Amino acid sequence: MKPRLVVPALLAGAVIAAAMLAQPAQSARAQAADAGAPPLPDVSWSFEGPFGTFDRAALQRGFQIYSQVCSACHSMNLLTYADLAGPDGLGYTAAEVKAIAAQKQVADIGKDGQPIQRAALPADHFVAPFPNENAARTANNGAVPPDLSDIIKAREGGPRYVYGILTGFREPPKNVTMRSGMNYNLYFPGHQIAMPQPLQDDSAQYADGTKATLPQEAHDVVTFLTWASDPMTEQRKRTGAKVILFLLAMTGVLYGAKRRVWSDVEH
Amino acid sequence: MADSAHSPTADAHATGGTRRDFLVIAGNALLGVGAAVSLWPLVSSMNPARDVLAAGAPIDVDLSGLQPGQQIIVLWRSRPIFITHRMPAELKKLQEPSDTSLLRDPNSEVLQQPPYAANWHRSIKPDYLVLVGICTHLGCIPEFTPQPGGSLGPAWPGGYFCPCHGSKYDLSGRVFNGVPAPYNLPVPPHHFVNDKTVRIGENPPNTAWEFSSIVQI
Amino acid sequence: MAVSQNKLVQWIDHRLPVFTFLDHELNEYPTPKNLNYWWNFGSLAGVMLTIMIVTGIFLAMQYDPNVNDAFQSVERIMREVNYGWLIRYIHMNGASFFFIVVYIHLFRGLYYGSYKAPRELLWMLGVVIILLMMMTAFMGYVLPWGQMSFWGATVITNLFGAIPGIGKDIVTWLWGGFAIGNPTLNRFYALHYLLPFVILGVVGLHMVALHQHGSNNPLGIDRKGPQDSVPFHPYYTYKDMLGLSVFLIVFAAFVFYFPNVLGDPQNYIPANPLQTPPEIVPEWYLLPFYAILRAIPNKLLGVCALFASILILFIVPWLDTSKVRSAYFRPVYKWVFWLLVIDAFALGAVGAHRPEGIWIVVGRLGTIYYFLHFLVLMPLIGWFERPLSLPPSISEAVLKKRGGGALAGAAATRAKP
Repeated sequence: MKPRLVVPALLAGAVIAAAMLAQPAQSARAQAADAGAPPLPDVSWSFEGPFGTFDRAALQRGFQIYSQVCSACHSMNLLTYADLAGPDGLGYTAAEVKAIAAQKQVADIGKDGQPIQRAALPADHFVAPFPNENAARTANNGAVPPDLSDIIKAREGGPRYVYGILTGFREPPKNVTMRSGMNYNLYFPGHQIAMPQPLQDDSAQYADGTKATLPQEAHDVVTFLTWASDPMTEQRKRTGAKVILFLLAMTGVLYGAKRRVWSDVEH
Repeated sequence: MADSAHSPTADAHATGGTRRDFLVIAGNALLGVGAAVSLWPLVSSMNPARDVLAAGAPIDVDLSGLQPGQQIIVLWRSRPIFITHRMPAELKKLQEPSDTSLLRDPNSEVLQQPPYAANWHRSIKPDYLVLVGICTHLGCIPEFTPQPGGSLGPAWPGGYFCPCHGSKYDLSGRVFNGVPAPYNLPVPPHHFVNDKTVRIGENPPNTAWEFSSIVQI
Repeated sequence: MAVSQNKLVQWIDHRLPVFTFLDHELNEYPTPKNLNYWWNFGSLAGVMLTIMIVTGIFLAMQYDPNVNDAFQSVERIMREVNYGWLIRYIHMNGASFFFIVVYIHLFRGLYYGSYKAPRELLWMLGVVIILLMMMTAFMGYVLPWGQMSFWGATVITNLFGAIPGIGKDIVTWLWGGFAIGNPTLNRFYALHYLLPFVILGVVGLHMVALHQHGSNNPLGIDRKGPQDSVPFHPYYTYKDMLGLSVFLIVFAAFVFYFPNVLGDPQNYIPANPLQTPPEIVPEWYLLPFYAILRAIPNKLLGVCALFASILILFIVPWLDTSKVRSAYFRPVYKWVFWLLVIDAFALGAVGAHRPEGIWIVVGRLGTIYYFLHFLVLMPLIGWFERPLSLPPSISEAVLKKRGGGALAGAAATRAKP
């Protein structure tokens, strides 16, 4: 490498390394809080990498898990039923989405001005299980089940972390005293989580016939939650490929142009 | 010694000379394309967002409580929609010269309504009129004035009166001659889901008509 | 000298000399011919400022600065607004890349002595820009109203409480209430929209100061004549475009493929005034200063050290006593400079970690070195160092680098039609 490129290359490497390291430093802290926490499970995801996409069948199975199990306690306020439709969604048709929405009841004001319940429309946001935070706390041992719209973006380790939580429930070791109402989880910071194990084998019967083992269910619901945290992921990656290819081509041309412009000057 | 800061090539470029280099042109072209393409997401972001478009979905209105001679107003796509239950005497009047002779466009020739409402009652069922309640002059909401005569004079057949600049429309929303408003009140896409429910924002099955094709909202 | 034959251009220029101005400052403007790629970062900073302002304005069209809706309005931009995700990720990562560019630009100045006479005010205006950038970035980070937004704002505004006597009142005044809340969010939004335009103004002054004496160069010696420079256009316009294109590839990689790597996941949790996150950490570009703040176990002195670490940059032109500008000719300072770079990275790492164990030691040593570098090493090295001998001129140094025979070749080049 040319000597004068060594310094810039080192600096660029340092910046990128620092960026990459900043994250594990935080998870190192989170895990250092409980020494002996195992590394997050290594699962492969269809959406990993610059060319990854969502497996639509897994998304639909994951949505089924969310609807049948998780939505009893966890809201998903930032999504609307209409988001489930189409190729950037879960692949449902408009009619299917209308039917999914209509299964839920939404509070509204009637013609006489009194509060009523009506069937949800596709434009409505996902119906929350509790009307407000206090009600959620009361029903859940004083803890609020977090909203899941952004859960993958909001946790260090993202999909692997949530997968770990779902599959990480164990009997507490002998030397650990569990606080009342808490459950032992390998990956939760502090190991004591208020949520009881939500999924087991056969917690749901998959419409497409896939065998519903716990790892399968966890994999599917995490795929769904990852989509929910960032529904524009696939469009973002597609656009990125086009932009970077264009920039690479333009850089090549501009490099030639710069050399040509400077060809008549000693520098 | 010659002034070498301005070498021949630099001079040629600085004064827009004739030596043009493919790489330089190509580079400029790519930069221009890149800049133009980068503007599109910004412009596009100002268009109605997905949730705004979704909120413009058709609405169903229950007509069971609407008495003859009454009107209700509902909102569709943030616009007031008049739903009027017309009486037989009013319907008869709409076809008489005492009404139609006063009108600028009695036969609804200007495209302000879907094809299934291009008739004298400007609706699907004569009993019920569905209009976009925005005056085609400058956008105020006309007042429902169904009583003939009164303060508007003996020739007033009943209809809508716009308080802002005095535009007048009959009970089919057709605009009068000699008023500032140029066009009939628009009719939105609608159809009857059943006898007592009208859906605003959706054409009858097997018809296609774009609301955006009207001349003036 | 007429700028153009075009009659319209001449008519405008006679009344408002924009075209003469642009021709003088961007076209024929003589620039040292030996600038290396470290000189690209000034124009890159200007580009980043433009990108941040433009994306910011379009985000402002959709954002709601009310505590009940702010978080949701940002998520709405990501999910519902056409290309909202793109504009937001560009703005979010753009802040980081703006700081990367400006920090490199700053260190370039430190290495090559760009702050030395007659460019002292140019340098100081640059420090003003960095200060304004930090304030803007801090307030901008509060706007999404996530956990880190709220608690970071709480911690940093509480710093002012360290001021003796009036401290508590100042904090209440900043908050507009008993704690960070809606009044705070609204005023931060107003100021966050305003300050970039103040930065734009200071950048204008920065450019005026620059053009007064022209750019420094890697050799640190003044231009002696036209043979030492080339017109800005097309030489540096094309070089800047090339640098921009390369930079955009790296920027695009982050925006499209790792958009959240430089941020904190905690900020995707809506702000909860009743629950403090396990770690409160500012964004990476403020980490070294955060480390200096925490290195001193006294609240008031820590705050003083924090402000001193930024303010000390203002007096660098007078702290450095060397007669020679560029580190190229300064055999001792050349290596000590890298110690400062390593120190900056080390302090950044300290800021990212909990203040416990080895990190406390590293943080204190790093803070001591930081002030030692500016207050002790810079003056001493300047006095005692024996610099290498400077070349007689830029053009001669360039020719020597190319080899002896280049002189004939260069003359032949100049003679070409």
